[in-house]
Amino acid sequence: MMQVIRKFIEKNRKVIPLWSTAILALVAYAIGAYLFEGMRNPQVFFNVFRNTSYILISAIGMTFVILTGGIDLSVSGVVALTTVASAVLLREGMNAWGVILLMLAMGMTLGAIMGSFIVYLKVQPFIATLAGMWFARGMCFFISDDAVTIDHYVFQLLGKTKILIPGLTELVEKQGNTAPYLTIPVVVGFALLAIAIYIAHYTRFGRTVYAIGGNEGRNEQSARLMGLPVNRTKMLVYTFNGFCSALAGLALSLFVYSGHGLYATGFELEVIASVVMGGTMLTGGSGYVFGTLFGVMVLGVTQVLIQFIGSLSSWWTRIVIGLLTFTFIGVQTYIANRKVGPKMAQSPQAIAAFRRKRMRQGIAVGAAFVLVLFSFVAVSRFTASPTGESTESAQCQVAPFREAAAESLIQQGAVIVYHRTAGPQCVDQLFVIYPDGRVTGNDGANQVEKQVTPQEVEQLLTVISVDHQWFTDEIYSTYLNPCRQCFAHYIKISYNGQEKAATGVDGTTAMPPGYAFALAEIRPLLPEFNSAP
Amino acid sequence: MKKPSQKNSTLKSITESRLFLPLLALMLILLFDLIFIPGFFTIENREGNLYGSLIDILRNGSTVMLLAIGMTLVIATGGVDLSVGAVMAIAASTAGILMNPSALRNEVFFVTDPTYTFQPLWLVLGAALFISILCGLWNGMLVGYLRIQPMVATLILMISGRGIAQLITNGLRVQITYRPYMIIGQGWFILPFSLYIVAIMFTFAWLMTRKTAIGMFIESVGINFRSSFFSGIDEKKIKLMVYTFCGFCAGIAGLVASSNIRTSDSNNIGLTTELDAILAVVIGGTSMAGGRFSLLASMVGALVLQAITQSMYAIGVPAFALQAIKAVVVVLVILLYSDQFRSFIRKISAPKNEAQP
Repeated sequence: MMQVIRKFIEKNRKVIPLWSTAILALVAYAIGAYLFEGMRNPQVFFNVFRNTSYILISAIGMTFVILTGGIDLSVSGVVALTTVASAVLLREGMNAWGVILLMLAMGMTLGAIMGSFIVYLKVQPFIATLAGMWFARGMCFFISDDAVTIDHYVFQLLGKTKILIPGLTELVEKQGNTAPYLTIPVVVGFALLAIAIYIAHYTRFGRTVYAIGGNEGRNEQSARLMGLPVNRTKMLVYTFNGFCSALAGLALSLFVYSGHGLYATGFELEVIASVVMGGTMLTGGSGYVFGTLFGVMVLGVTQVLIQFIGSLSSWWTRIVIGLLTFTFIGVQTYIANRKVGPKMAQSPQAIAAFRRKRMRQGIAVGAAFVLVLFSFVAVSRFTASPTGESTESAQCQVAPFREAAAESLIQQGAVIVYHRTAGPQCVDQLFVIYPDGRVTGNDGANQVEKQVTPQEVEQLLTVISVDHQWFTDEIYSTYLNPCRQCFAHYIKISYNGQEKAATGVDGTTAMPPGYAFALAEIRPLLPEFNSAP
Repeated sequence: MKKPSQKNSTLKSITESRLFLPLLALMLILLFDLIFIPGFFTIENREGNLYGSLIDILRNGSTVMLLAIGMTLVIATGGVDLSVGAVMAIAASTAGILMNPSALRNEVFFVTDPTYTFQPLWLVLGAALFISILCGLWNGMLVGYLRIQPMVATLILMISGRGIAQLITNGLRVQITYRPYMIIGQGWFILPFSLYIVAIMFTFAWLMTRKTAIGMFIESVGINFRSSFFSGIDEKKIKLMVYTFCGFCAGIAGLVASSNIRTSDSNNIGLTTELDAILAVVIGGTSMAGGRFSLLASMVGALVLQAITQSMYAIGVPAFALQAIKAVVVVLVILLYSDQFRSFIRKISAPKNEAQP
């Protein structure tokens, strides 16, 4: 039996990390679905793709870079630059399609510049792309210091268009649920994945990419000696990654409808981690583009699980991703060492020594793992209480959400209570919408009021509860430290006897899309505060 | 042909020296300051302590200088440690929570008593440094014994380290008010106290690497770890030691940074400083591929970075836009050190050398 398993492992060595990731993602989701009823909704499953569409797009480009044995740390900078630049250009009234093309061209140019540094000046990829990241992030703040909102109709259309899944719609509607859907960025991501798989595995270019990577740069030497166009291929790979980063940046701006230079911090780590979890060796030369999809899925499922568990704070995502990356790299290294192991050991003593060494290593790793887990458990005992709402932003003291005030206002007949704090001006504003169309705002010093028609309020409530499914599990509270320019929101809605409150913060990708849409629906109805003090 | 004159050879030995380029860069920046920023070089004497822009460069650069000491040794072994920023945050969080544990119970109350601390200072410092040494050991084990690529191995702690730091403080920024702890980052004994810490660490590292064989071992591991292994150097232990030392340096840097801003902010302490530290080492002329290193040149590299930052602030460049300028500097430095550039220079000076026998 062991023999069979060993033979199987030997045969499929390259595919094992890939399938283990896929199985891990699905099993984790299945466990979640068993524990939480909300996760059985098919839409929640599709949301995994929706929430990670821009990670997938960027990870595809990164897979190629890593296959050549390089690395690209600039993705997060290029993503942030794309969101800011496109937001500002749209605000200036440029054609939306022109903006999209311009952004893609910008990404490719940045990628090509970094590629030429790496290829022709022999700069380490790590250093060159690091400089690229700093440059891109610095440029964001040259363009705009504040967060810029995007309300162009083409971007709204691209972001909000729902693509129903043929075959699934009737099936789900029969059960009484709303039909699950995907968004355009997801479809773009999958199309890009299909193209990338074709390029990587069925073209001359793809084979060159594989030939360049691996073996500590020695393969690059041999590829060059064989007459493969190494320089051209590497240039193309970095340019393609620049394209993917810009596309990911556009997908992110369709997600948050704004641009800011602090978006997507640490994004490059998520991307690299998902590529590694997808079974691509970081030394290059081995891996599958298809696996990247599963790496991204693991990331998405982890986020969903942590949101559903609720009591776990958002930083657990990072810890879990770190641990998973460690596990996968450990497996990769083990498999890579296995290849060399038996050849090196020849005499029986050497074999025995080798086994002892392997065993000692195994015990050390196991002990370390147990220690880490134990310390996590010990620490989490102390910190069992959920995340505090009284965190500060970098610029101002974030006022705590006025939950009690909201509750009493709802009791008095209000339908929507919306409280926002922080933001560029460090505000603390409470808005109340009544069913008769009266909208009041209070920022602690001033009172403002505005009258809209009762029909508008009724329509707003219908849109929020039906289209954006406010009262379902699709809307959940997320809270992170607001960035320098971001708002923290608290919305409480009472409609048709249902009542639900949820919190969120701008500029994070953890915010459910429906929440952002609901915010966008509420905002136009709010009265303006006079800018004069 | 005549022998090159004495003067020429001294000039050559100066330009060939590792310290030449970083020092030249530092001089250029200071020259820029001398011309464009009035009063940059004035040093005040307030009650026996020295204050001024130059002192500020030294004081604000002390975190990166501390990191650069450890990072130089790591890079000399052919590795890199990306996790130093996260380790700084972990150390700062540990110290903060031990002095003011109210955050753990999710209570928001601010201690303003400068003599209040929950645990004695030696325990606070000891625990923070112990945890950072553990982080360094973890990195060293992954790189040395499990043979994981250094960049990847330290990436793991870089991703999860900040999460762990937030876990320790429960995601809150912990106020630090304990006066004796403040001395680490804000004390002055003629010069800022943090400079003395840098001096002690530098002297220690310099003595260890230049007065014992460890420095040579590190260089040989960096140049070729296989042949060092065959010549009897335990390269795994060397790597483990170097990464542990780097974690220790990062821990001290975290204490300095947190005492400087009076909070242990697990989100922002040491954010992107790993990049600054690596850049300082690269400006100092230590090759990323490993091998020969110079601790003093890395120190100068760190000062170059801080001098750029300080001058840009002085002429009013916003903090975030600074990154773009830093990127341009990196590119220039890379170009100066690249083989292509060197061979270009050699081509220019070639006719002279050809005439030599």
